[in-house]
Amino acid sequence: MSGSQSSLREANRALIVETVHRHGGLTQVELAGATGLSAATVSTIVKELLAAGVVDTRSTTRSGRRAQMVTLARRVGLAVGIHIGHRHMRIALGDVSHEVVAEQTLPLPHEHRMDTSLDRAALLIADLLERVGSSLDEVVGVGIGVPAPVDAATGMISVRGIMRGWDEVHIAHVLSKRLARPVFVDNDANLGALAESTLGASRGYRDSVYVRASYGTGAGIVLSGQLHRGFAGTAGEIGHVQVDPQGDICRCGSRGCLDTVVGAQALLEPLRASHGTMALRDVIQRALDGDPGCARVIADAGASIGAVVAGLAMAVNPQAVVVGGELAETGELLLGPLREAIRHRVLLNQIAPLEVVPAELGQRAEVIGGLELVLQSTDFVLRQDEPVRAMAGAVGDD
Amino acid sequence: MSASTRVPLLSLQQISKRFGAVEALVGVDVEVHAHEVVALVGDNGAGKSTLAKIISGVLAPDSGIIEIDGEEHTIPSPSAAHTLGIATVFQDLALAGNLDVTSNIFLGRELTDGVLLDDGRMEQAARQILRDLTLRIPSVRTPLSELSAGQRQAVAIARTLIGSPRIVVLDEPTAALSVAQTAEVLTYIERLRDLGLGVILISHNMNDVRAVSDKIVVLRHGRNNGSFDASTASYESILAAITGATTLSENLLRHAASMR
Repeated sequence: MSGSQSSLREANRALIVETVHRHGGLTQVELAGATGLSAATVSTIVKELLAAGVVDTRSTTRSGRRAQMVTLARRVGLAVGIHIGHRHMRIALGDVSHEVVAEQTLPLPHEHRMDTSLDRAALLIADLLERVGSSLDEVVGVGIGVPAPVDAATGMISVRGIMRGWDEVHIAHVLSKRLARPVFVDNDANLGALAESTLGASRGYRDSVYVRASYGTGAGIVLSGQLHRGFAGTAGEIGHVQVDPQGDICRCGSRGCLDTVVGAQALLEPLRASHGTMALRDVIQRALDGDPGCARVIADAGASIGAVVAGLAMAVNPQAVVVGGELAETGELLLGPLREAIRHRVLLNQIAPLEVVPAELGQRAEVIGGLELVLQSTDFVLRQDEPVRAMAGAVGDD
Repeated sequence: MSASTRVPLLSLQQISKRFGAVEALVGVDVEVHAHEVVALVGDNGAGKSTLAKIISGVLAPDSGIIEIDGEEHTIPSPSAAHTLGIATVFQDLALAGNLDVTSNIFLGRELTDGVLLDDGRMEQAARQILRDLTLRIPSVRTPLSELSAGQRQAVAIARTLIGSPRIVVLDEPTAALSVAQTAEVLTYIERLRDLGLGVILISHNMNDVRAVSDKIVVLRHGRNNGSFDASTASYESILAAITGATTLSENLLRHAASMR
């Protein structure tokens, strides 16, 4: 009887650590809500974990009342999130409580080379670690997002031609050889979905879709709180759904993919005659400044993306569609037509209407997803460390 | 294309410069529009720095036309260039290590309240510029000797913004910087462009050049050898133009085909 009670206690303890780990930081009241344990149990266990050095607590306020915020103790390590985009690389260092402690953006050339970019990523990590007075020893892992479908088993890009020159590369292997740390690779929209569903706009939903509208378009699918990657990692590759049977040939080899209609080149081309040569960034800025031509291009892109997302929404019936990526910085200019296009096509249910909302984490969603991927993949960072041994001791004392 | 109908901020036409028997520049054309980064690339001795010196008023061309906003000008001295709205950051930065960030930004152009230096106003202006560029510099009172190489480069760039220039010339801004510092400087270049300035970027690093520029102008032996749209041009085609594997006429044909 006492054996089962102590194992129950142990299970509750693990549940609390895991919940704090997932959310980064929670008040004791929120912990009780998230775990379903009683406030008294949570309080007792948090006190024990605090004594064992597994968690830290600090005073905070929630809706005007004082509360105890519980986070994992910082010394358990740092994670690195990297987002390699078409024209930018973004790197963030975060600790286990999802706090970003340092970040840096590096502009990249069109069709940047794999060797140069990964080399620069490795050097940037070292520079950032130095900036926060840390070293590689403290890093528990590196999570990288790339704008292409990734096979989770091998960490390689699973569809040829989408990122020129990156096809035959074992990305994780190249970086882990240099850094001597575990490296996890995933699709960037999947990382965005992971970040938004744990910390951002869709954290309250079990089933959601994250749409990343950028130089290319992609989506990440979260089902029952779990990221759904598909067998070869191509789930949610909405950029390669055919929308125009007579359209241009896409880099993936198909004809008339969504990316050939709303990709950066496709958005810039119709503006060339009236606006001259522009970068995607200029179109976004000018659309926000009220330029009707640029706003029109963004709105039409929203409608085209919405039509494809509607198909995805019919297949997985999410509670929310979260829209991120550079184009989403135009706010309702993109979101309005996108929402309309989805609502026209999906089956309306009476239980809960499908929400189409902007991403909360903005440009950082993918790197934060990278951090999240590391923290999830590292399973329990704590287990190999001092604090857990202390915790096991505390359990034995019971 | 409307870009050709817009008046360029700076237009150099048929610029030639000779040092004795050395033909440094022969009939070079370069145009820079507002809100545009134009990269000048080429081998050593291709004439990049000579062209930068002509634009910043250090050297006078033997022949050729310099137009600013469509009006013909001569640039007889660096201070004339400054009056015309052209600011230059040379490779050696020309900063004073013993002075603080504010003093360096205003070096030689100090604000006065008639008699005395107006420190308050200068500090405020310096802060504003650092904020505009989102520079990561702790305080405007830090002596320059305490800053990293990347931060110094940033101060040198910030300094060009005094007197609200419209054209900024950067000579090898990322040489000798770490990757994180390069990242910062490239981000500042993007910011300068977004502020609506015309930027001329001279660099050997093809990766940096292709990352931030809109147009890449290749010089070879003092002559134009191709102009590329940076958002589509491949690494190989630019290198081919630099090394002379392709010539201007071939590059023009390809350019015309891509514009069609």
